[in-house]
Amino acid sequence: MRTLSMLLISLISFPLLFIRKNSVFQTMMMYIVMVFAILLVFIYAPNEQMQGIVQKIFYFHVSSAVTAFSAFFLVFVASIMYLWKNAEWWDAVAVSAAEIGVVFCTLVLITGPIWARPIWGTWWSWDPTLTLTLVLWLIYVAYLMLRVDAHAPKRARFAAVLGIVGYVDIPLVLWSVEKWRTLHPKPVLIQEGGTTGLPFTMILTFTVCVVGFILLFFYLLRERVSIIQSQHTIEVLRHQIDGLSTG
Amino acid sequence: MCKNSNNFIALMSGSKIFLQQVLALLAKDLKTEWRTREIFTSMFVFAVLVVVVFNFAIGADTELIRQVASGVIWIALSFASVLGLQRTGQMESEEDSLQGVLLALHDRSALFIAKMLAQMVYLLIVALCTLPLCGMWFHIDFIACIGELGIVFMLGILGLSIVGTLFAMITLHTRAREVMLPMLFLPVSVPLTIASVYATAQLIAGMTLRDNAGYLSLIGVFDIVFFTLALLVFDYIVEE
Repeated sequence: MRTLSMLLISLISFPLLFIRKNSVFQTMMMYIVMVFAILLVFIYAPNEQMQGIVQKIFYFHVSSAVTAFSAFFLVFVASIMYLWKNAEWWDAVAVSAAEIGVVFCTLVLITGPIWARPIWGTWWSWDPTLTLTLVLWLIYVAYLMLRVDAHAPKRARFAAVLGIVGYVDIPLVLWSVEKWRTLHPKPVLIQEGGTTGLPFTMILTFTVCVVGFILLFFYLLRERVSIIQSQHTIEVLRHQIDGLSTG
Repeated sequence: MCKNSNNFIALMSGSKIFLQQVLALLAKDLKTEWRTREIFTSMFVFAVLVVVVFNFAIGADTELIRQVASGVIWIALSFASVLGLQRTGQMESEEDSLQGVLLALHDRSALFIAKMLAQMVYLLIVALCTLPLCGMWFHIDFIACIGELGIVFMLGILGLSIVGTLFAMITLHTRAREVMLPMLFLPVSVPLTIASVYATAQLIAGMTLRDNAGYLSLIGVFDIVFFTLALLVFDYIVEE
């Protein structure tokens, strides 16, 4: 259920990509919202009664997860668009989203155990969501490795295929790990820091945090795509210079 | 009406050619393999090796070994399939034989289906040879549920072959092929491995296919989804 709602949020956040004009405005928005989110987390939001200060990692952990899932969804969409339209821009979007997605997924996998240790009493539990995140991380790390390793003319197409296959695999992985977990005992200690029945202050803080992370994601995405485009331009220019000097 | 029937005839003859090409490619692969027995030998010996090494890792506890036997068998199969795919890929890229085959083909998915079927045949034979050994070493009676196990192994091996062949075709064009293939193949096939391992374990423990409907439908959905997807994207992989 948690994962489903995460996917839903990532679906909704996708159209944000198309607010592509006015980058200064977007950057400033990102900066303001991020600072505001940090203030809310550490000053405004109350300490959770059972978990105390540890629970504050929830705001960053879940926001990173939402961002990672939206990034992987974007890889999927951009991969389809690349195979369909064969435009370099979509490939640049796909690889940038994959890189940022892996970074946020790593953050999820780091903050998760830090939160789980004092609350569940264990660094790791093979809970469906955790297992899914780990498998996803492995798939998208393989995606980045494939990009480095494949020969140049086909690199983008192979990556696009893996971007599609990897995303289609998500529901199947989720289905299988959920069935698999039913055979094992669930963690007996206190479950998840009360995702249901959160007080309004916490929900507000959480929402601002998610919006901040999503804005950060699109800011990084835009920067990364523009770097790739600059690299491409330099390449073209270099070819022209080579042509001039030999011709 | 006439036009429709013409289209129908064209479609029929098209699918007949397609089928002929698949069968010809499959026959070519199997004939080469029959003469050298290179791929099968390496896959089978490797699978046996995995089982034996796991046996040492687990220790002498017979009950424990029975519990993890299905996991060991499926790990052996998926590792062996990585090995087999690498050998197949190596043979295809020698002297650009893949390029020649692609030039001769009317519809390139024929190549995918033929390669997938060949891989499936190798894996099924490896499974057929490894299972009796596992039964003997792990003291498990596979004969009691051989029919049900056959269905699980058919579907599971089909899935392994689909995903494996797709990624083998991709890694043909990478530098570190031996590293990239398992890197791509193992995480994507996680759902299949989980479902096959637990379906096998439950059948060994004396449950029926009906008890395993959930795992079986998971394997079936995995096969259908990835087969469709592989056919859709295969052209992009082999296209120059």
